[in-house]
This record gives sequence, structure tokens and C-alpha cells, in this order.
Amino acid sequence: MKIARTLHDALAQAARADAGYWFVAPSNADNAGSHVYRSYADLRERSLRVASALRGAGVRTGDLVALVLPDAEQFLTALFGASFAGATPASLYPPVTVADVPRYVELTGSILRAAAARAVVTTPALATEFESARSSCPDLMFVLSFDALDAPPLHDVPPCSLDAIAFVQFTSGSTSAPKGVALSHRNVAANVDAINGPAGLGTGADDVAVSWLPLNHDMGFVGMALGPLYSTRPGVLLTPQAFVKRPVEWLRAITRYRGTISFAPNFAYDLCVRRVKDRDLDGLDLSSWRIAGCGAEPIHGPTLAAFAEKFAPVGFHSSSFLPCYGLAEHVLAATLPRRGRPTRTNVVSADALTSQRIAVPANGCDRAMTLVACGTALPDHQLRIVDNDGRDVADRHVGEIVLAGPSVMLGYYRQPALTADAIRDGWLHTGDLGYVDGGELFVCGRSKDVIIANGRKYHPQDLEWAVDDLAGARRGRSVAFAVSEAGRPDRVVVVVESSGTSASEALTTAVRRRVGDLFGLYVDEVAIVPSGTVARTTSGKVQRALTRERYQQLVESGFSCD
Amino acid sequence: MPEPASDALVDGVIDVLKNVSRRPIEPALDSDLVADLGFDSLQVLEVIAELEDRFDISIPLNDVPSTRTVAQVVEQVAALVSERSNAR
Repeated sequence: MKIARTLHDALAQAARADAGYWFVAPSNADNAGSHVYRSYADLRERSLRVASALRGAGVRTGDLVALVLPDAEQFLTALFGASFAGATPASLYPPVTVADVPRYVELTGSILRAAAARAVVTTPALATEFESARSSCPDLMFVLSFDALDAPPLHDVPPCSLDAIAFVQFTSGSTSAPKGVALSHRNVAANVDAINGPAGLGTGADDVAVSWLPLNHDMGFVGMALGPLYSTRPGVLLTPQAFVKRPVEWLRAITRYRGTISFAPNFAYDLCVRRVKDRDLDGLDLSSWRIAGCGAEPIHGPTLAAFAEKFAPVGFHSSSFLPCYGLAEHVLAATLPRRGRPTRTNVVSADALTSQRIAVPANGCDRAMTLVACGTALPDHQLRIVDNDGRDVADRHVGEIVLAGPSVMLGYYRQPALTADAIRDGWLHTGDLGYVDGGELFVCGRSKDVIIANGRKYHPQDLEWAVDDLAGARRGRSVAFAVSEAGRPDRVVVVVESSGTSASEALTTAVRRRVGDLFGLYVDEVAIVPSGTVARTTSGKVQRALTRERYQQLVESGFSCD
Repeated sequence: MPEPASDALVDGVIDVLKNVSRRPIEPALDSDLVADLGFDSLQVLEVIAELEDRFDISIPLNDVPSTRTVAQVVEQVAALVSERSNAR
């Protein structure tokens, strides 16, 4: 096992190597395309300048500094800068669109307030908007534009403990209890070193990481930005927009830089299968790509098979696939399979899996489900599958995945109750369901009510909050949930109690528009229901599970909604 | 002064929208991309890429957020197409 080190030490070590990041912007209408190289030494120098400017602005040791920066280079520089200044950097999602920035700022403001953020570092345009959030965030002293953060490099970097918070990653903006995953330097080093280590990717001197993932996402930041930095190898970073607009840009970057390691959620492989045109295959060479990681959302075997088939003629090896399981609360990775082997699958009966919670091989008459093996726990980490009472279940029996070891987060930032619920006796309760077969984890669902779309987790509370103030909706009576079916993307459902003041059609449109503007998500079904339909507890909180059950009964009985 | 969009251009835009959508849709000029046609933020970028290929134009991403309806897409494409032909 490698000796644990802080973010500061890792960057100092990387700065002595001849490596760094390539920031790639493909050509489009907005610019002619660029490939900007920043050595790790350069990144360190710039971060020390930002650190000095933050200190000069009044940021003090231990302050939470929220980063709302869509640009990868700015984000990394600000994150290291805040860390060198002795502050705690926190990453927040930038707005998905600029269609409803005031509501975005309100949502983000609730995170800043709960986290007692002292400063927010953002773009000049958003800085103006965040000024308006200050009145509701008493701790927020500084709204800073990244462009203005420049001063002679900081020399007296405060000492940094391995057990201090390295950074906080906010995954949810729900108004009541925002979830910011707080990770120590020790956590980060344990996970990144295990991923890069011999039992993981076996990262070596010839490796080049290529990624288009957003950096406010664990796989993008920890996996594809810190991963190469901690192993002093180059990292090539594209923008998520460039990839989504033209998925072939990802594969072109791998070709151009002889990329060897690249991770992405299932949907990215699917986008490549559907959208990379045959004529675009000319000029691609994916033969260098030895680790094609797949995680962050349910993995669909047929997607990987279709990708391997389509790109085999340009050198892709199907044995490069590395389906894995992980979550931000465990830094990034929880399990990895042995590299360089064919993807292992289980074909099981879907009915037995849901009704008896056992994975039995499908026979001819069952509805079959193909599940992908995600490997074993990282070295020095443990994994168990437990029932509702916390008892271990037998192999092939479905239960909650729980994890222990040096990657388990410190906790949710300033949320002791949520933390105590997630980490019990040292075991992180993931809320995900799985079983073990042949020593390997198969993930088959989730017990928490998160909605997963395009590799990102959405918390139903956030969607509910987003639609709460729409005209015609009763306050506090909206429920959002996902209807999941194996092998298909989640269907997003929002149930809204009508106050009777707006036409259902107008309210339906307003719900879709609001959720689209704030989260970039399409609501598959909006159910406008009469007063009193949404189940609530005696204390007035909505009962999501019960509402979902009632909704599904209604749908089965033929009730139609839009 | 933007020229009125030709029928061929309208048909072309509607064809792109139908191809990108993963469900059967019947776009009309006043259809809202998100609320009526069900495009999420990923698919909007996909629509842009397909429109660029079909009409040989470059759509600046800055203009995208203000685009809500099919009519606005048509108008924007028409303006870029006429800009392109004027430049030649």
C-alpha cells in the first residue's frame, strides 16, 4: 500500500514530474478549438497565486469556500488554491442552463446557508447573481469572481493534516438537508491509490487518462483528474458539452493522445453506439485504450457489447471494459474487477430477483435480466451484503451493499444526523442493492429513492422543491420519484397536487419546464392529482414510497396521466 | 431582416427533431422542445449537432438557452443559413 499523502503533497510530487493536464476544447461556432497544456508545476504555481488572493480577500483557515465553476482548469486551480489557503473547498453543480438562474441561485443558496459557506468562487456572470443570495446566507462574506483572483504566490501554506477535510462534494441541494460528502486527505489517497494500484488499473509509466466528465462529479474529479495527478501521469480533459454534442470527440481525443484509461457512465457508451457515424470511424484508433471504465449508473450488458462490436474495427478490445461500482460517499470506487478479462455477466430471473430477492439463473419461461459483475472490494477495504436487520445474507441473496475501510467518508458536512444514519459502526450503508456471486458484486437496484439519469444522481427532494412554488400547485404536496426497470433508463415521475387555480395542462408544462431548466431532466410523466391524494405523515412530510405505490396502482388500473 | 423560412427548411428541422427523439413525436411550430417534445439537455445538444451537419452551419452554444420552441429553432437555423450563403 502506498503511503497516504495530502492533496498538497500529491500536487508537489506531480509538479516534479514532466506531466500535466491537457484542456481540450474542440472547434465549434464559439471558438476555433484549442489544446491547452498546463504542467502540474504550473497548476501548483497558479493555485498558490489563487490561495494568496483568497487570503487577501479575507478567507481564513477552516472557511468553507464553495466553487461554482464549469471550466475544468479554473475549477482545479480554485480547488487547490482554496486548499493551500487553509480553507475547505466545496464543489457545487453549476447551472445546467441559463434559463432559470434566479431559481438556481435560490437552490444553491440553500446549500451555502446550510454549509455556512464563507465564500463562493464563480464566474463573473454568476457572481452578479450570487450577490442576491447574500441576504439569505448570513455566513457568506465573499462572492468572488475567479478571474479576479491573482496575487503573488502564497509562501506560508498552513500545515495540512491527513485527517482534515480535503474537499466537500455536494450531491444534493434539497432545502432541508443538503448532502455534502466530506472526504479527508487520507480518504482520497486511499481510494485513488487503490484504483491506480496493481489490483486496480495497474497505472504505469505509459498511461494517459482521457475524460470528458464534469469535475463536480466524483468519477470526473477523483477518477479522471486526481487519478492521473496522484500517479504523475498526464490527464486530457474535454468538456461534457463537447462530448454530448459530438460523442466522437471523446474517441478522437483518445486517438490523438494515445489514451489508455478512460471512464464514463453507461449512457456515454450508448451515445457512442447511437451517434458516432460510420464515416467518423475513419481516423479513429482505439487500440491504446486498455481500461474502459464504466460506472456511476446501472451497467447494461448489451450496451457494452454493442460498443465493443461497433468499435472493434478501429482497434477497441472488449477486454478493456472495467465495469465497476462506487459512490461519492466512498470517494469514488468501491469495487473493481480484475482488469483485462471479458465482462462477466449473470442472467437471472427478474421475478425471483424482485419478489424473493434471490438471483437464480433464468430458465426459458422467466423474464430474464442480465447483470454485470463489478468485481471485488478494493485492497484493505471490506464489503458485505446485509438484510434489513443488518445481518449478512448468503451468496446470491439480495441485500444492501455496506462498505468499510479507509475510503469511507468522514461524513456529510455539518449534518450529524444524516451521517449517523449513513455510517453505522464504521460501515457505510450505501442504499444500493446487490448480491455476491463467485466472490464478485452484482448491483441490482437501490433502496434509497434517488433518481439516476445520465450518470448523475438526482434527489427527489430537489425536484419537489423546484416545482413547489409553481402557480396551481399546492405547497409541500409534490412528490418526485423514479420508476426503474432493468436495462432501461429511469422514468421520472412528478406527482403534483392541484390547488385548482390553474389548468392541468398549463401546470404540466410548467413542471416540465422548471425541471428541465434547473436539472436538464425530462419529466416522463406529470400526474396532476386532486387535493389529498399525496400521502403524508402526521407531521406533514410527503410519503414518497406510498405515493409511488398508489401511483403505480392507478397506472395499472388504467388511469391516464400526461 | 431575416427571410421567412422555406418549407424545406421547416421540414428539415422537424425531421431532425423526429430522428433525435427516442419516442414518436409530431413537432409543430409552436411545440416547446422540453415541455411538449420531451428533449432533455443532452438531446438538445444532439439536435444542435444534427442541425449543424444537415444545414452546414455552426450554432453558437450561447444562443441555445433562449431557444424554446420549434419556430425559434427554425428562425435561428434560417438566419444562420442565410448568413452562410451571403458570406459565399
